[in-house]
Amino acid sequence: MSEKKTFKTAARMKEIMQEYYAKGAAAKEKRIPVAWVTAIFPVELLYAAGIFPYYPENFGALASARKVADKLSRYAEAKGYAHDLCGYARCGIGDAYAEEHPVGEILKPDVTFCCNTQCGSLSKWFEVASRFYNVPYFLLDAPQILDQPEELATGYYVDQLKEMIAFLEEITGKPFDYDRLLEVLHLSNETCRLWNEILDTAAMKPAPFGFFDACFHMAPIVTMRGTREAVEYYQALKEEVDERIKEGKYAIPNERFKIYFDHIPLWPKLRWFSELFASHNSLVAVSQYTHSWAYSFDLERPLESLAENYTEEFVNRSFEHRLQLKMNFFRKYGVDGFVLFSNRSCKPTSLGLYDKRSVLSERTGLPGVVFDADMSDLRFFSEAQILARLEPFFEQLASSQ
Amino acid sequence: MSIEVLEVLKKTFADPGRQVKEWKQDTGGKAIGFLLTEVPEELIHAAGFFPFGICGGRARLEQAEAHLQSWACSYVRKGLAMAINGELDFLDGIIVPLTCDSTRLLPGIWKHNKPLPYMDSYRLPKQVERPSAKKYLFKELERIKYNLSAYRGKEITDEELKQSIRLYNSNRGLLRKLYNIHEHNPEAISNKDLYTVLGASMVIEREKLNRYLSELVATLEEQTKPPAGKKKTKLYISGTFINPPEVLDYLDESGGTVVGDDLKNGYRYIQDDVEEAGISPLESLVNRQLKKKPFAGYDVPSAPRRYNLVKASQQKKAQGVLFLHLKYCEPENYDYYDNLQALEQAGIPSMRIETEFGDTSLGQLQTRIHAFMEMVGGESNV
Repeated sequence: MSEKKTFKTAARMKEIMQEYYAKGAAAKEKRIPVAWVTAIFPVELLYAAGIFPYYPENFGALASARKVADKLSRYAEAKGYAHDLCGYARCGIGDAYAEEHPVGEILKPDVTFCCNTQCGSLSKWFEVASRFYNVPYFLLDAPQILDQPEELATGYYVDQLKEMIAFLEEITGKPFDYDRLLEVLHLSNETCRLWNEILDTAAMKPAPFGFFDACFHMAPIVTMRGTREAVEYYQALKEEVDERIKEGKYAIPNERFKIYFDHIPLWPKLRWFSELFASHNSLVAVSQYTHSWAYSFDLERPLESLAENYTEEFVNRSFEHRLQLKMNFFRKYGVDGFVLFSNRSCKPTSLGLYDKRSVLSERTGLPGVVFDADMSDLRFFSEAQILARLEPFFEQLASSQ
Repeated sequence: MSIEVLEVLKKTFADPGRQVKEWKQDTGGKAIGFLLTEVPEELIHAAGFFPFGICGGRARLEQAEAHLQSWACSYVRKGLAMAINGELDFLDGIIVPLTCDSTRLLPGIWKHNKPLPYMDSYRLPKQVERPSAKKYLFKELERIKYNLSAYRGKEITDEELKQSIRLYNSNRGLLRKLYNIHEHNPEAISNKDLYTVLGASMVIEREKLNRYLSELVATLEEQTKPPAGKKKTKLYISGTFINPPEVLDYLDESGGTVVGDDLKNGYRYIQDDVEEAGISPLESLVNRQLKKKPFAGYDVPSAPRRYNLVKASQQKKAQGVLFLHLKYCEPENYDYYDNLQALEQAGIPSMRIETEFGDTSLGQLQTRIHAFMEMVGGESNV
């Protein structure tokens, strides 16, 4: 994404994110409880309860993008936390012990809420944080979906949502406002609908918007879905993308190939990757990662619907189901090849990719490649090694047409 | 001192697949493997299958490297390598407890590379103190029971399950007695022999095990005489696995005796019995899981793991704690600093060692253990 192509909306994002952080800081003064939450979490309940949700993962991604993950991590490593733990967690734990705060101080929680749909790293990190800050820890436990979604798992999750609501009433001293929940769910639906409409434009050939743009614009869908600000933000972005389509402005200058990418980007190397792909006329069009926030809540049955949406994320599904999801994306976006990022920070998105690479090529005939690195930490980044993987892939792509 | 049954158990441990293969030949029965340690084995046994605990073997880790990243823990890499190597070909099925991210991802990779007729996962709850956990776990165990019944072609009856529970309780009770004998009289049974028997207990026909253990415990109790020689240095071991087994040799030779542990192939395997009277056997299995002490898989806010560690070490009068962690085991690593802080506050010295299945430098390990023993014991037989 070159400078001249930056979306105008980007400036608005800086503003709303600043407003969001300012709200977090002000929450403390206003005695609004600050809750740590995870990215795949029914945050709608917290917004409905009037609690400020803070995303330590977002803090980790920010520190990673600013290339200071290793600096923060070293503070955690000095305490005995290994450098192969999740990079976000190392940033968060490191910042708690750090003397300097290169991306500002992580917001201290009054309570932590974790949902383990994504991984077990988050629950362990939040356990650590709850001990460190001496605050209550609440886990929404999401059993892996072994095959098809089952009442066993969603029923368990609904029971826990009810337990969580009782806990929220305890924290706020107020009865839970179910009407407000419906409003928040409606706003979440709107946000997710807009976000996915924007992502879908990457299927156009050439496309006005791609994965690296999505990475840049995803903070509000993660942290602010359920708010009017997020809806307005993605309305503005959608309008701008539509304008670009009319004006014939595209994500990369000379799009020849569309690429599928698994999963999380390498935050400190976002620009390097986007330029590398663009230089090979390849648009990274789609990733399961940015499509995670594709919720659709049924307001007639809010709790059940929350349970289904938040437990049925790709990362909580079986090996075969996840292959099917990828192949669906391949078809929908007319993908010419796929790149799988084996991310040391993230076992649930990475373990299994070695086998999936060959299965996907066998089943689809598309070229694909796996490379190893870390989403946060440049100590695990080797440009030479990655290029040694990607260059032959680009050659294969070129010769396949 | 050579006790015949002890020798048999040592041989079993040295060649874990031997007994199960013989049993299958004799009975025509089926074997279901499991990864350690939460799996309710009683259900496997009640279905008439041979429960086989997978915990290390001959396969080289490189045999899994095309399928699992080198930064997945070596326990799951070793298991997969063994399967690919054909070392587990006697298994008809496997149940994987989803205790962490690596175990959560393993079943799909295993199934892709080495499908077995019966494959299931045990999704234990990660929060155990709210009412939802109990209701859920009951259904989850019902599901596993149903699947095992379907694989056998006949429902597992309450009577069968109760019998298996009785047998397992008895085995656990005997193993705890053995542990106790070791704790109070390490001369009677060494560290190495104690954990060898524990290891063997996961790969042997459980009825046979019961007879062997009864005999072993009776023999040791008869033989018990006041401990001779130097006083041993008492140690508590915390972590994932006793691995490699040479750790125990190094403790034995430096005058250390293990008086407690929270390991998957240690005391955690035998700690909790299942209630036999009153409620339904499945509910008893639920209760057993929920009352288990927290481990790296999850902590319990009202009775945190680090306090259990301090309490257990103090109760056993341990002079030091040895953290035995598997490299790349994230859950253990997340707990480590707080565990360490709790021990330091209680004035209990500790040392952390990181090992891998099949790839640990033994010389360095020996030196470090000897040094630690000297430090905490103030005396050493080395």
